[in-house]
Amino acid sequence: MSSTTPRTKTIRTDYLARVEGEGGMLVKMRDGVVTDVQLRIYEPPRFFEGFLRGRDFREAPDVTARICGICPVAYQMSSCLAMESLAGVEVDGQLRALRRLLYCGEWIESHTLHVFMLHAPDFLGVASAVELAAIDPGLVETALRLKKIGNEVMRVVGGREVHPINVRVSGWYKAPTLAQLEALVPDLEWALEASREAVRIVAGLEFPELEQDYEFAALSDGDEYPIDRGSHVVTSSGGGFPISEFLDHVVEHHVEHSNALHATLDGGAYLVGPMARYALHRRLLSPAARAAADEVGLEPVVRNPFRSIVVRAVELVHACEEALRLIAAYEQPAEPALEVGPRAGTGHGASEAPRGVLYHRYRLDDAGAILDAKIVPPTSQNQRSIEDDLHAFVSAHAELPEEELRLRCEQAIRNYDPCISCATHFLTLEVERT
Amino acid sequence: MTTCVACVGNSLRGDDAAALAVMELLQGTVPDGVRVLGCEGEPVSLLDSWEGCDTAILVDATQSGAEPGTVRRIDVNETRLPDELTRSSTHVLGVGEAIELARALGRLPGRTIVYGIEGSRFDTGAPLTAEVSAAAEQVAAAIRRELEQADA
Repeated sequence: MSSTTPRTKTIRTDYLARVEGEGGMLVKMRDGVVTDVQLRIYEPPRFFEGFLRGRDFREAPDVTARICGICPVAYQMSSCLAMESLAGVEVDGQLRALRRLLYCGEWIESHTLHVFMLHAPDFLGVASAVELAAIDPGLVETALRLKKIGNEVMRVVGGREVHPINVRVSGWYKAPTLAQLEALVPDLEWALEASREAVRIVAGLEFPELEQDYEFAALSDGDEYPIDRGSHVVTSSGGGFPISEFLDHVVEHHVEHSNALHATLDGGAYLVGPMARYALHRRLLSPAARAAADEVGLEPVVRNPFRSIVVRAVELVHACEEALRLIAAYEQPAEPALEVGPRAGTGHGASEAPRGVLYHRYRLDDAGAILDAKIVPPTSQNQRSIEDDLHAFVSAHAELPEEELRLRCEQAIRNYDPCISCATHFLTLEVERT
Repeated sequence: MTTCVACVGNSLRGDDAAALAVMELLQGTVPDGVRVLGCEGEPVSLLDSWEGCDTAILVDATQSGAEPGTVRRIDVNETRLPDELTRSSTHVLGVGEAIELARALGRLPGRTIVYGIEGSRFDTGAPLTAEVSAAAEQVAAAIRRELEQADA
């Protein structure tokens, strides 16, 4: 939609497609200079933290899973970890391996959905996955099969592909048999090859120019590429802190134009998600994922947010290969879960959702009832960086025709695979030129 | 001939469970060989649900501003789903997109019918409204008739 007044020019999209949730965006310009950028999230607040109060600590994984239909596992894992840290229980060995496998399933389905169905259309000049299917049915068939395989991993390990039902604090209701997991292997081997090919395909796309000096932040999980857990947050400027100190560094605040909270890290904008994980932990990628990145010449630190689609595809390779590794090493545990009882205190948990760090904190009473809950999702953390990218992109390309500028701005938002429902939280784009 | 009835809905969101009510009414009352299944509308699962079927019947709740309990029957082999029936999916790809994807990929069954039941309350934890319960009975009966006619 465009409107022009003598002093003000406005470009706007009332409804940004191909993102999860409802929101809008406004860019104001005066004499070709960007004066304000707002990512406006108008999906109504969802109050999950409020209605967790008074619930039993064991309910948190199932309640918080409902925050998102794309990344329920992330919510389940972060909440379990928080409760377990409080109880002094560490879920390790095969019980933990199953968590990582379930999470690989979620990365496969979520990254596939975003890379092929939501983001690739931007680069290929089509409006949707449906149009993409008309011009390149093979690509869409590949995506559908990849997504199905991710879903299947989630179904076998988690009991259901959306909002898994097998996850519990301290482990599982039922551990899958080795035979059940081995049945996934042929499909995962196909998925590994398909995702390597996906890296080649997306690396060949044309990327708008934009280099940003990001502060990256990701979890650190020893010598493993962080997925299902992390003891610390590490940053590209050399900082690091245990997740129990997360809220000492990450501060959320209200901004007038958004129903999602904006987060800052030590007072500044930062970036979580695939580009951050890759920049900080590239050496920990699986051999095939590293080889795929090398083959297409992906630089060790990617600072062009439009190239995040390549990083996401590299992580897709990683998730497939990691799933295969976990299955190869699987032995069905004797017990599906550890013993865990209520304990008063405060627990912290964090895991790497497909879109980045997802932090949970809970305070419990001695009967295990939740006194308060705090959830910091990745999209909230990335909002400032999204606005910064838009500011930089529009400033550098103010001369572009309005329609093209609008499309590029939408693409710049989709670089982040924003999950607005998680943040709180859809998109309208408005560029105002004065 | 293989037929699938896919009932799309969320049991925890009031009238969004309309199709799941239809599913319950159909259980045990449809001709042998007809698959009746419930799903949350995840597109890959939907495409899978009618894989190999000649006929697919989809049931979903709608939120278009029509009178609550309004039933629509749309032959999607003939026409696309109207926009006002597809825009309120809680997921990035909804039933409408799944149908159009299937059409583009040549994976739409030869006969694909969508029943929409207009809801009015979609609150978390809310029960079905009376209008939607009555509409679910009506849709279940209509589907049984379609299946019998197809069987005959």
